[in-house]
Amino acid sequence: MEYFDAAIVIGLGALAAGFGNGMIVSKTVEGIARQPEAKSALQTTMFIGVGIVEVVPIIGVVLGFLIFFT
Amino acid sequence: MHLFPVVEFGGIGFDISSILAIVVSCIVVMVLARVAVSNLSVHNPSKVQNFMEWVIDFVHSTIASTMPLQKAKKFVILATTLIVFIFVSNLLGLPLGFVTEVDHDHHGPVTFMGQELLSAEEVDEAHANNEHLAFAWFKSPTADIAATAGLALVVFFLIHFLGITQNTKHYFKHYLEPFPVMLPLNLLKTITKPTTLALRLYANIFAGEVLIATILMLGWIGIPLLAVWQGFSIFVGAIQAFLFTILTFVYISESIVHEDH
Repeated sequence: MEYFDAAIVIGLGALAAGFGNGMIVSKTVEGIARQPEAKSALQTTMFIGVGIVEVVPIIGVVLGFLIFFT
Repeated sequence: MHLFPVVEFGGIGFDISSILAIVVSCIVVMVLARVAVSNLSVHNPSKVQNFMEWVIDFVHSTIASTMPLQKAKKFVILATTLIVFIFVSNLLGLPLGFVTEVDHDHHGPVTFMGQELLSAEEVDEAHANNEHLAFAWFKSPTADIAATAGLALVVFFLIHFLGITQNTKHYFKHYLEPFPVMLPLNLLKTITKPTTLALRLYANIFAGEVLIATILMLGWIGIPLLAVWQGFSIFVGAIQAFLFTILTFVYISESIVHEDH
């Protein structure tokens, strides 16, 4: 049962963050395509956003590992 | 999973492997910095000097994208220290690992320099369950929550100290913005900022190291997988070092820069 819990935690976290990251990156690509000269500023903002979104599934993965190994 | 040698000292657990790795990465960063600035030359720069100049240029443009240029200038040293230290720390656990095993006929407590790592009961219990006992003596320092929390604590103090000294009025006012009702949320934000900063770095590197340990259980089949993952870990390490640095400066600029409307 613990393995099932860990799998659910990691799976749902990855799913949600995948959608979030996809939205961020697609909007950034649109922005760069419209205004190529704003590339560096957009990329910086994108990385900040990606970093903030990424933290949720990664914490989920660590919690999953803790469930898995203890 | 390997165990880590944790020594109790005055009620606090000290993880020897992460302390060792922190010392090693401090030495690596210091030597790199010293080598880069020895024999400085304008006409005939050495390769290390070129590399370090590129790093500082990159860091400078990164900070300058978060705050005005004249304010960014004095933070370049801090940012370079953070990014180089975290990058070296992230990579340190990838190529090396020292593991000592505890034999199956070993009885009594496991000790290191007079300190007890595992008590006799724990050793006997592990043998009874036929568990594999091994200590890892080396890992990425950033794969330890204490190291990343220490870095985040430095950033936390810096944000509030700089905010209070350089931007006093607006620093205290921003807790009541946009409405005074938001005060609890704003206070919560001060806690979550350093917490997520520490957890993001720790979790990324820790998850990477656990995956390496899991791949190693596969035996020789895992070699291509390990090569791919090690390559990806270099990328992850660089991204995380960059993110930690840029988020630090986004937070600092939030607290010290006030734009007049």
